[in-house]
Amino acid sequence: MCDACGCHSPSDHAHGPSTHSHTKTVDVHESLFAANEAIAKSNREHFEEMGAVAINLISSPGSGKTTLLEHTIEALKGEFSIGVIEGDIETERDADRIRAKGVPVVQLTTGGACHLDASMTHRGFHQLQKEPGGDKLDILFIENVGNLVCPTSFDLGEHHRIVLVSVPEGPDKPSKYPKAFTSSHTFLITKTDLLPYFDFKVEDARRDALQLNPKLRVLDFSATSGENFDQWLAFLRELVAGARE
Amino acid sequence: MHEISLVQGLLSQLHDLARQNNMTKVVSITMDIGPLSGVVADSFRFGFEILAQEDALVREATLNINTTAVTYRCTGCNATQHSSGDKPDGCPACGELFLLAEGGDELILNTVEME
Repeated sequence: MCDACGCHSPSDHAHGPSTHSHTKTVDVHESLFAANEAIAKSNREHFEEMGAVAINLISSPGSGKTTLLEHTIEALKGEFSIGVIEGDIETERDADRIRAKGVPVVQLTTGGACHLDASMTHRGFHQLQKEPGGDKLDILFIENVGNLVCPTSFDLGEHHRIVLVSVPEGPDKPSKYPKAFTSSHTFLITKTDLLPYFDFKVEDARRDALQLNPKLRVLDFSATSGENFDQWLAFLRELVAGARE
Repeated sequence: MHEISLVQGLLSQLHDLARQNNMTKVVSITMDIGPLSGVVADSFRFGFEILAQEDALVREATLNINTTAVTYRCTGCNATQHSSGDKPDGCPACGELFLLAEGGDELILNTVEME
């Protein structure tokens, strides 16, 4: 032990800033997302072992994520096995709505957190596997906490990320919340049955979103009136077929 | 405010590093935050200051944040330009409006100085 300072170096070492210092700088060069990404990668492997295509739905509260899922399950449950992980800050309400459609569902309540992360998703997925029919899925929907900002930074292990904006929210959402659009694969404009009542030009929203992310696929429809809903269903069939290849 | 969860992750990593290196105090931290990371540097710093107060290991640490740049590639002529702030309105070479972003989404812990 060093007599001068009590460190673990031998006592005869030279003292002075150039030869011995009690500070140490460690080069880390690691992403703070690394821990989340490692779990996301393992989630993706779990989803693929099951043969499921996993879809992360991101939007503001009230854009119609749960309503979209209800109508989608209604239309496709004879064709595909569908499972849902619901993310909310509080309550089982969304899971109850999905359960009523007769498919396996797990509700994750974050207790205040504004987003799902890979670790919560991992836990939710294992719970879902224990639900009747939850062990073999074609499509796994993960409905994120309603928030256009925070969920965009966390990979859950999904294969496909979808951002939704409903007509009453206004067409300026792509410009105001760019990360939701740059990090997504597909953009859904929902509640188009309300277009006559709002100053919302589908083309403006589409153009702004494509300007942020030229690779984005854009669909617009109404789940409740059924207008263009076939395009959404065709899109999902395409995703499942792509995953099976 | 997802910055708080990211700061919590950082603090737990700092505790691991201190333990591995037999150090008792973090002096300074250097990070890269990209404009497209979805992390607001000011919010991250705010969260760090609040949580560090409760944590003897990092209470006196200085947090240095470098803002990295995004490369914007024109989908028309392939020309590139760099920005660490707003997205450019279009390509200065050909006027094309559609630009693809490359990089700038990092949130990296570079170096940690401890004693």
